[in-house]
Amino acid sequence: MNQNQFDLAALIAAWEPAREQLSIQVEHLNHYYGDGEMRKQVLFDNCLKIRQGEIVIMTGPSGSGKTTLLTLIGTLRSVQEGSLQVIGSELNGVSAGTTTELRKKIGFIFQAHNLFESLTAFQNVSMSTELQGIASDLARPRIEATLRRLGLGQRVHYKPKSLSGGQKQRVAIARGIIHEPRLILADEPTAALDAESGREVVTIFQELAREQNCTILIVTHDNRILDVADRIINMVDGRIHSNVLVKRNATLCQILNGFPIFRDLTPQAISQVADKIDMRRYPIGSEIIRQGEMGQEFFVIGSGEVDIEVDGVQVNRLSQGAFFGEVSLVKQQPRNATVRARTDVVCFLLSKDEFQSVLDSSTTFEEELRKAIFSRQ
Amino acid sequence: MKTAVPLAWKNLTHDRRRLAVAVGGIAFAVLLMFQQRGFNHALFDSTVEIVRELDCDLIMVNPARFALTNEIRFPTSWLEVAGSQSGVDSVEPLFMENLAARLRRDGKRARPIRVLGFNLDRPVLLDSRHEILSQINELREPNTALIDRLSKSSYGFELSANAEFPQLGELNGSRIRLVGTFQSGRDFAHEGNLLMSAENFETYFRYRGGDPLSLVDLGLVKVRAGTRTEEVLQSLRATLTNSVAVMTRQQFIDKEIAFWARNTPIGVIFMIGTLMGFVVGVIICYQILANDIAEHLGEFATLKAMGYGNKFFFALVIRQAVYLGLLGFIPGLGFSWLLFEFNAGMTGLLMQLSIPRVATILMATLSMCVVSGLLALRKLLAADPASLF
Repeated sequence: MNQNQFDLAALIAAWEPAREQLSIQVEHLNHYYGDGEMRKQVLFDNCLKIRQGEIVIMTGPSGSGKTTLLTLIGTLRSVQEGSLQVIGSELNGVSAGTTTELRKKIGFIFQAHNLFESLTAFQNVSMSTELQGIASDLARPRIEATLRRLGLGQRVHYKPKSLSGGQKQRVAIARGIIHEPRLILADEPTAALDAESGREVVTIFQELAREQNCTILIVTHDNRILDVADRIINMVDGRIHSNVLVKRNATLCQILNGFPIFRDLTPQAISQVADKIDMRRYPIGSEIIRQGEMGQEFFVIGSGEVDIEVDGVQVNRLSQGAFFGEVSLVKQQPRNATVRARTDVVCFLLSKDEFQSVLDSSTTFEEELRKAIFSRQ
Repeated sequence: MKTAVPLAWKNLTHDRRRLAVAVGGIAFAVLLMFQQRGFNHALFDSTVEIVRELDCDLIMVNPARFALTNEIRFPTSWLEVAGSQSGVDSVEPLFMENLAARLRRDGKRARPIRVLGFNLDRPVLLDSRHEILSQINELREPNTALIDRLSKSSYGFELSANAEFPQLGELNGSRIRLVGTFQSGRDFAHEGNLLMSAENFETYFRYRGGDPLSLVDLGLVKVRAGTRTEEVLQSLRATLTNSVAVMTRQQFIDKEIAFWARNTPIGVIFMIGTLMGFVVGVIICYQILANDIAEHLGEFATLKAMGYGNKFFFALVIRQAVYLGLLGFIPGLGFSWLLFEFNAGMTGLLMQLSIPRVATILMATLSMCVVSGLLALRKLLAADPASLF
């Protein structure tokens, strides 16, 4: 526990994925159903970045637009407004041919197994390898191995009629992952499975993510598998309500928990705060805040050291894990000091508005803060 | 990909009971088409069957005679003119009476019958069974004739295989002795046939003119071996000019069929019947294919999501349609054959299942299935993978 507590280096490294590392990039995506008078907006200005190899769990009430978003990402619907890039291709205005090619790089796992009753488990999975043009002598051992791994070693040549619901779903999963897709889109993949099979499935997902850098997007209400998520997205009324990188959030929560002013927040509230935090880099010698300006952000130092200067005189030095900038925000006053990067500095910061909303949402927090500020004076 | 999953075949044959129903439906449509085409062909075939049986290369006929039933004749003397042409081996007359010939058995009504008269020394029918040749001596007797086994039973004669001959009757009021049978067939203008010597023909049809045999219905020309039929045809045409028309047997057959096809609604009626069969087949086939697609819409949509393109689905549905067509065609052909045999027995019409005709119906069956496949394909292409989530 302790060794993870301030794994800030990893946190910083993971913060800003390079563009080519992005598997999905959604920018200002709107979507509408119907035409004319009946036109109804279902997605509102959604932005989202998902890195390769992330396991994303998407939740939200039905009608929240998560399925629409999933089908848009899966190229099953055409993008109307905004930008959507999947595996490096822009989907807005994409040609049918590109769509078909792109679909081959995606693995789909649907809530219904959708297996052909007339084909055996093996043949159903072969439909995928054939499409990919994998030679049958190469495909055969691969299909058998995958089915075996999903606990279907004894059922390879059974038809769906002779398989249980869970077994059928596992065949469908085998079909969805056999071609080692770059992206897996799964809709309630574990809903039909018992705990053990469900665990086996998510374990396979984890392995695919880890070994093949495969991005996995799961729409689910199954909280038994939440632990595998790198990111949890919650959608409400067509908007991404929250988009949380679980590990980052946990680390940030731990950091925030280290400060007396955040300590009394509920885990949910503190997680929300962590969620709003951004990261910024400052080169050595640069001013992070300047005395006399109106404050815009609250800062936590991720790495490096800063000097606090009042009227050009250094009064203090802060290092990794320390925070500053809150006084001006709370008191609505200009900055009372200049903060200068003594080394290259990475800061986690919370904007004034977000800070204020957190402040408003929690009287305890505000009181704590006032106390902290008071005690500092 | 020879090890590819045969999805079309698997889907089609997965549910045996439904496959049986499907095949039955297609077979029914095939049967309908075969019947309609069969009757159509039978009527035409029967009409020209007598011409097919003539042992000749070229046929001479009055140019005004637009069909066999149109009894316009030409002077027999033209046969000698033709016979003297180089390249002609022989010219034989064929006398025919239809409208004026009435055959009657005691206690029955007199019915029209076609009477063919020919020179006994030079039989003009191909007579593949050697029935005529073996009975030629009986025909030399006065007032004798052979009767077509396939003649209508309402004449009242016993015509079964083990019937005893002679049987007595009346032809145009004169006694006639039927000494045996031969086989030709009837058509919609003729209910039966009698075959007799030219001499006997003369005695029965005195009214044909001063000399009943001075007018002939058909002149049957045989070309000398080693001579090209086309050359003889041209030289005969040049000699006979407009007095007598000369044509090959096939030309004569084509002309005869063209007359019946053009001047009677037979062709149209049976074409409509065939189209009905085709449409029934399209509907049945479409139902089966569309049903199959509807039931597997989720699976097909999944394939679409996986990246299968329209080409695949096109091939899939067409393949399924073709399989269905072939599977339905085989029993359809079998049943048709049985029904043809039954019909031929019932009507005396020639019901023939020749290879080109079977091939035609096979093509019709396949196109029927492909058409319905294309109709059903629209359903499949409309399958929306987005609806799967």
